[in-house]
Amino acid sequence: MVTPNLSKLICLFITASMLCLSSASAQPKLPHGYFWKQLPNGLQVVVIENNKVPLATIEIAVKNGAYTEGPEFSGLSHLFEHMFFKANKDYPDQAAFLKRTQELGAIWNGTTDVERVNYFFTFDRDSLSAGLRFMNAAIRYLRFSPDEMVKERPVVDGEFQRAESDPGFQVWYETQKLLWGDLITRKNAIGIHEVINTATPEKMNVIKGKYYVPNNSLLTICGDVKHDDAFALAEKIYGSWESSGVNPIEKYPIPAFPPLIKSSALIKESTIAKTPYIMYSWQGPAYATDSAATLAIDVFTNILSLNSSKIQQALVNKGLASAVSLGSQTTHYVSSIETFILPNPNKLKECYAELQNQISMFASPDYYTDEQLKDAKANLLRNSIRAKEKPSSQASQMSFFWCSTSLDYFTNQDNNYQKVSREDITRMIKTYITNKPSVSVMVISPEMSKSTSASTFFAAK
Amino acid sequence: MKTKIFILTMAAVAAYICPVFAQQPAYETIVDGVKVIVQPSGNDIVEIQTVFKGGVMNYPANKQGIEAIAMNALTECGTARYDKNSFKNQLDKVSAQVYSSTSKDFSVLRMNCIKNDFDTVWPLYVEALKMPAFNAVEFARIKQDAINILKANESSPGQAIDNYANKVAFAGRDYAKNPNGTVEIVQTITSEEAKAYYKSIFVKSHLAIVIVADLDRQDIERKIHALLSGINAGAPVKMNKEFFRAYKNTFSSEPRDLATNYVEGVTSGPLPGTPDYNAFYVAMRIFADRHFLDIRTTNGLSYAPGAYFSNGTTSVAKFTVSTTQPDKYISVFYKLVDKIKKEGFTADEVKNMKVTYLTGFYYKQETNSAQASSLVSNEVIHNDWRRSLTLVNDVKKLTDSEVNDAFRKYIGNIVWVYQGDTKKVNPLLYTNGIVAPDNPVVH
Repeated sequence: MVTPNLSKLICLFITASMLCLSSASAQPKLPHGYFWKQLPNGLQVVVIENNKVPLATIEIAVKNGAYTEGPEFSGLSHLFEHMFFKANKDYPDQAAFLKRTQELGAIWNGTTDVERVNYFFTFDRDSLSAGLRFMNAAIRYLRFSPDEMVKERPVVDGEFQRAESDPGFQVWYETQKLLWGDLITRKNAIGIHEVINTATPEKMNVIKGKYYVPNNSLLTICGDVKHDDAFALAEKIYGSWESSGVNPIEKYPIPAFPPLIKSSALIKESTIAKTPYIMYSWQGPAYATDSAATLAIDVFTNILSLNSSKIQQALVNKGLASAVSLGSQTTHYVSSIETFILPNPNKLKECYAELQNQISMFASPDYYTDEQLKDAKANLLRNSIRAKEKPSSQASQMSFFWCSTSLDYFTNQDNNYQKVSREDITRMIKTYITNKPSVSVMVISPEMSKSTSASTFFAAK
Repeated sequence: MKTKIFILTMAAVAAYICPVFAQQPAYETIVDGVKVIVQPSGNDIVEIQTVFKGGVMNYPANKQGIEAIAMNALTECGTARYDKNSFKNQLDKVSAQVYSSTSKDFSVLRMNCIKNDFDTVWPLYVEALKMPAFNAVEFARIKQDAINILKANESSPGQAIDNYANKVAFAGRDYAKNPNGTVEIVQTITSEEAKAYYKSIFVKSHLAIVIVADLDRQDIERKIHALLSGINAGAPVKMNKEFFRAYKNTFSSEPRDLATNYVEGVTSGPLPGTPDYNAFYVAMRIFADRHFLDIRTTNGLSYAPGAYFSNGTTSVAKFTVSTTQPDKYISVFYKLVDKIKKEGFTADEVKNMKVTYLTGFYYKQETNSAQASSLVSNEVIHNDWRRSLTLVNDVKKLTDSEVNDAFRKYIGNIVWVYQGDTKKVNPLLYTNGIVAPDNPVVH
């Protein structure tokens, strides 16, 4: 159980988050140097003042991504993200768009994940106004010409093919299929080849109409900027962006992820795997229903990353694996808890057995010491200092939490980690890990699979 | 949160070099014959990199991998006072990062910590450098890990194609050596051998130290003096700069069961210190944009077309692509190169790249570790850490003709390598190259 104070705090977080999802949001608490405003059209704007270097970074994050995709749209949030960098009302094609990025001297990119799509540009601080107008043309006035789509579809599919050529992706992808079953498309942003390769402008416009609205977006301006000036520019340029009047995540609800019924184990033979890769996973906590567990798991996985932890000692120190890590990306809906292992191929059977042995002990009171718990919490604070070092990354760090949790969760995260107790961690382990259905996948070459008789020991427990 | 196993990006983020705005000026000081370069940081993070110069020049081909495993042993095989677990656990208690990296021109033992923890971490860092134990049991463990990681790298198609390109293009040269070694060679290296090797490079003549942190100068000099006490002077290290040029186009391939095909090309580039160097750097940045436009935007041939100037004592230009249409790719590539050689880059392109370079310059100044890495590479490769700070002004002075001339001068014959479905590619299209008067292509 979480401590009473933490429970209360987390309830407040959930309440704040729900408000975000409905209409007007209350002023969130933010770190020093962060300023927040909501425009009448629902667009939230955060300005982060940081004059370490004379640059400005702008980012728009949209609550979109794999979780909004049924099978017929699988991979299209990602294709949309690519199309963002092509034609719009001011720039007739991608060549013109790219030329403008070069004139601005911009460093830019976009990403598509499960619960967020974001676009960001970094340039000289004096180009802020021009940069905001440039972003405005793309986010609001995208044009999906059939010709441009025909060119971009193989590019996006090529990204998929690159991933498929890597055993690290293969082990992840097979894991997702088993964890999510029929709802795999809600967790896999890369999508389905046929859907990508047959995507139409009409489908792009469906995504735009549903999700690319100010009341589903966050604009962040950070760097060597003044918040009053930045807010004024944001209002002037984005104030006329028309609200859809509805919360798309409420209007087009995300289906509930059914719990895993039973454990499974899969051996995927792959000629490109020169050494085996293993993932061992469970369905994990959702921010929406158990935000306390999302904090507890971060503390617990930090404990497990310590050299002194039982799992590192049993697997890495004893030479059964070259690396082992456990982690869970916080998500609004059901998350996954994923253990990645690079096993010693000469001790594959022992490694897998020891991994299962370690997992069986996770909930034991002596699985970690009070000192390790204290060290892990202190390290989370130090990690936070490091994370804030790079001004141009601050927008992206914050918007991740805006999309999947809330700005309050983001602001209070460091303090709330310090409040996580042993009881919180134990509850999290018992709720999501111990004796819960799991998915284990090993990618291995056919020769090694045969020589190690992998099928005789790599089985669900 | 954490653990981003898989996230999709529009494009790989470009990366550049150099220092800061709002920081105190950098300076150098010589302590006991070793150059110490200090960039005050203006923040609470301490980044220190001790550099071991020489890289692949330090060992013969049949010992490639020895420097990497010896450097890794500094933090993984215990010290005179601490066994491996005790050493690592002390670092963990303050979330300090102390680890090594090894490249073709140098190795680095890096430490990064929060300033308040510096007094805890510094003695451990010194212990790793001066008193590594090379415990045989721990060494056997990291050797197995090194072999496993070599295999994992070989499973990653991007790394595999680059290793293959280096092996083919630099055959017979020092740069053909893989700093991480080969499975066969690493298997034979003993802890005693690694210890003796480390002793040979942990000498003053091989070292430089870069600090990006707000630390008192006298305190720095006192600490470095103590670190260097009892360390041998060593023989001078000469960083041999070796020019690369391919005298004909070549094509080498390996079948791989991939979902797409990986292609990499290696061609010439100016040596560090030559007048063309900066101009070629800018030329390759503009070419990378054109390459992206032609290969990806206009023809939809690849998600990740890349072109870059690979800096080092042997500096070369590299072209990378993953594509299901390798024959069409090479046709578009050669036409693009031919067009640029004939028409040159436009004045706008050169002007805009200077602006982009400035953004990249400051972008790299955002973190202490990026600043330190830039200072290190400029010091080792150019013997001039200040270049990390002055390049931004030098780039502004470049003329259009300097940029165009550099491109024409160095982009010639190309060593191509290919991994994937070998039935899908016509090697002749790669070896035929560009038929143009200023291109000394051999058919």
